[in-house]
Amino acid sequence: MFDLSSTVSKVVFSLTLALIGLFLFFPLYWLVISSMKSNAELYSVVPTPFPTTPTLTHFVTALTTGKLPMYLFNSLIASGSSAALNTLLALYAGYSVAKYRFAGRQPAMLFMLSAQMFPFGLLLISIYPLMSEAGLLDTRPGLILSYIVFALPVSTYMLYSYFSQVPDELIEAARADGASDLRILHTIVVPISIPPIVTVFLYSFMWSWNDLLYSMTLIVSDDKRTIGPGLLLTYLNEVNSDWGGAMAASLLASAPIVAAFLFLQRYFIQGVTAGAVK
Amino acid sequence: MTLAAEIPSSPAPAQVSPHAVRGGLKAGQRRVGLMLLLPAAIAFGGIILYPFLQALALSLFEYTLETPAPRFDGLGNFTKIAATPDVWQAFLTTAIYVFFTTAGTLVLGLAWALILNQPFRGRGFLRSMSLLPWVLPSTVSAFIWGWIFNSRYGVLNAFLLEMGFIEMPQAWLSTSAGAMVAVIITKIWLSIPLFMAFFLAGLQNLDREQVDAARVDGANNWAILRDHVLPHLRPVLIVVVVLGVIGNLQQFDTIYALTGGGPVRATAVLSVEVYRRAFEQWDVGLASAIGVLWVATLLPPAFLYLRMLVKGA
Repeated sequence: MFDLSSTVSKVVFSLTLALIGLFLFFPLYWLVISSMKSNAELYSVVPTPFPTTPTLTHFVTALTTGKLPMYLFNSLIASGSSAALNTLLALYAGYSVAKYRFAGRQPAMLFMLSAQMFPFGLLLISIYPLMSEAGLLDTRPGLILSYIVFALPVSTYMLYSYFSQVPDELIEAARADGASDLRILHTIVVPISIPPIVTVFLYSFMWSWNDLLYSMTLIVSDDKRTIGPGLLLTYLNEVNSDWGGAMAASLLASAPIVAAFLFLQRYFIQGVTAGAVK
Repeated sequence: MTLAAEIPSSPAPAQVSPHAVRGGLKAGQRRVGLMLLLPAAIAFGGIILYPFLQALALSLFEYTLETPAPRFDGLGNFTKIAATPDVWQAFLTTAIYVFFTTAGTLVLGLAWALILNQPFRGRGFLRSMSLLPWVLPSTVSAFIWGWIFNSRYGVLNAFLLEMGFIEMPQAWLSTSAGAMVAVIITKIWLSIPLFMAFFLAGLQNLDREQVDAARVDGANNWAILRDHVLPHLRPVLIVVVVLGVIGNLQQFDTIYALTGGGPVRATAVLSVEVYRRAFEQWDVGLASAIGVLWVATLLPPAFLYLRMLVKGA
């Protein structure tokens, strides 16, 4: 698009690339190498650009002495369940609004959309007593249910806009063959909609996995605690800060979500930017 | 039956055959449609809508540790807010935070998208990697930047000292201005990927021929950017700004993990303020009242966004 044949444009281009690239990637680089430095090297006033004697001590400590594996497991359970629940709900609702006519479906969709903008922090004020009354405070089901807040509106909208493009003839033809509505959805529509379904699953998984506010408030017992608050409690307390441990644990906590993301990013970007870009 | 359906990737008007009424309008099917919607509607009503309305209602009640049952108080909480400078301060802090995070991400995200739109070796790899800051858990982002900004061992101080920009190590996270800079930079860093993705998607359908024609007419890069690229990106730009403002107004996790809203109250944006009032001081009524005002600030960008989506649909 831009012509980079002149020296000036080359310089401007390279300089911008270098500066923004440095801003984006240096912190990631620093995270990785800090996790492999010995304490002696971490706590020196002049930081070294890379570990002189790389060590895996911090990883071993994080995985063996701390509660990190437990926190990771708890996160996996909570995020996985809530993503599955969210995807199922959004799948049926999105399909319903896209392919059936009934009074109030437009307002319902508009309403879903406006709900993305309710501040999570404000909802939590009422979700807390609600969970408390239902006896779900400090339980996994309570946390899993409350995670719906993050992604259900967006997920429903994403799947709705995708299903709207599924040709009606496809559905009519199957119906003429005598297939039931649910059967059509499960055996015809779902198989051709795997990319957006995966996107929605990953999107809601990411929200829950990365959450701090809800898990920190709704879970009190350590044995159900997820990684967000778990990391904070373990590595950043008033008494001591174990930065090497914090970096290693951060990498371990990021690994699942980063792996899933890199694997599925093509779908993902399309899904997230869909609707906004025409 | 086997159906290899090609789904168009861009919304095309559905071809409706004269015999097939769109989606089937028989009464029985209407009931099926409602049944499919029901589970999500229940979840949505119970976990999102009801709590939202309840929070709005609670703003009119006194509901604290001293009054464990909500007691109707009219606009009592709002008069309390009017007399609490801390809350106004939170609004101001939020305004500063939202302005700088959104503006910073906009400029850098756009520049980065323009860079990654040019063909060069390793571009695909850079594009993928560029998304990483956005997918990291919020606590992790806070750890990374907390370590960079660390007053004694942080790499930022070491770098600035080395370059001669500062004489003494700065205690970034212990000063009001320093902590604000830190939370803003952290948020810009983790939002660039999302903004970039939107802009890249928008750049994909830029009219190349028009650009080439302009170049033949002697337009330089700057003119191309000003007269073709930016006008073309305008709709995306508006979406990104609105979504950015909404997201940044909501931001809690990274700020809380990085500074806890401190030092003192320097980085206590509205989300932190509401959290503290509700879950640390247990003044639920007051927290809800602040939340109501918070929602009011969200209304203009939210309305704008919805209107655009409806127009586009």
